[in-house]
Amino acid sequence: MRRAAVIGALLVIGAMLLFAIGKMPAMNSRNTPDKTHVIPRYLEKGEAEGGAKNIITGVILNYRGYDTMGEVTVIFSALCAVVALLDREKRGLSRSGPDASGVRSSVIVRTVVRFAFPVILFFAVAYMMLHGEGSPGGGFQGGAILGASVIVFTLAFGLPESTRRMPLKVRIPLESTAMVAFLSMGIIGLAYGVNFLTYLLPGVHGAMAQTVRNLMLTVIEVGIGVGGGVIFISIVFAMMREDKYELQPDVPQP
Amino acid sequence: MNFSRMFHNLNYAVSVLLFLMGLYTVAVKPNLIKKLIGLNIMETSVFLFIVSIGMVEGGQAPIIVEGVKSSQMVNPIPQALILTGIVVAVSTTAVALSLCLKIHERYGTLNAAEILGREEP
Repeated sequence: MRRAAVIGALLVIGAMLLFAIGKMPAMNSRNTPDKTHVIPRYLEKGEAEGGAKNIITGVILNYRGYDTMGEVTVIFSALCAVVALLDREKRGLSRSGPDASGVRSSVIVRTVVRFAFPVILFFAVAYMMLHGEGSPGGGFQGGAILGASVIVFTLAFGLPESTRRMPLKVRIPLESTAMVAFLSMGIIGLAYGVNFLTYLLPGVHGAMAQTVRNLMLTVIEVGIGVGGGVIFISIVFAMMREDKYELQPDVPQP
Repeated sequence: MNFSRMFHNLNYAVSVLLFLMGLYTVAVKPNLIKKLIGLNIMETSVFLFIVSIGMVEGGQAPIIVEGVKSSQMVNPIPQALILTGIVVAVSTTAVALSLCLKIHERYGTLNAAEILGREEP
């Protein structure tokens, strides 16, 4: 009954949406309104104004810098919410992962992870973050790969080994790098008398100013990447720590 | 309804389909994790829709390299917006999953109907 009602409502919504897209302009056209107003300027002057060869990086860090700063705040708040709900992991308490069941992951898995881990890490930091302004990539993408590499390591070697290599006291300062990098680079411009997030150094002009701006954008990219990656790692560690409740419920069940 | 136009905008039609699949999962499945998966499918459909808007026939990535004119590039704004959207989606999913962990710890189940039935008035 309920399912039939839901399917009926979905058919109505679907018909309305399909009717709407039937009225939209053709997908691949160059003359749709979204590509004729501000986009030509972004594409032509993006490198001079945005400061990056990758125009998306320029848009994210320069044209829409405030937006991205808010976004960095969102992932930081997500970490705060997760930690408030679940607590930090503590070494010795956790029974999750391969160590909990007493079965270690196979030699093949551990060897492959041991070989692949540094390569993934290098790809994330050197290609995605540091070279993100001139090629596909950027801070958030590098951070996602960085986080994924440590999560793969955790799945193969267990949470105790992972928290031993990345202890809490290393992660806590790194989690805020994204916001710290953004704010500090933005405030430098304020001291010079221009707007927040303008990426200028006092007394630097001409070609040197371009280099300085590139450098500052790279600092922000690396900050976002490391900060985002470590935030994802901390969220996963906090969730894996909770697994002990499944083995040993210490909360009375209702 | 103009069906040939709709077929030309195939990405839009697929995103509508994905959206309905996600909405069906959220509305019908009682399991909270499945509801979350449905929510993520809906988010993905919106990402597909917005990125498709910026597409150009034979377009190049919006990165300035030798031999690619700016008129050949796709629209960079949807891609930048969706990068923001993906990060926010990941953050909300992380918070929702930790809430699910807490709910499972308290009730021993993730079935929404059972949880509602067990709640004291």
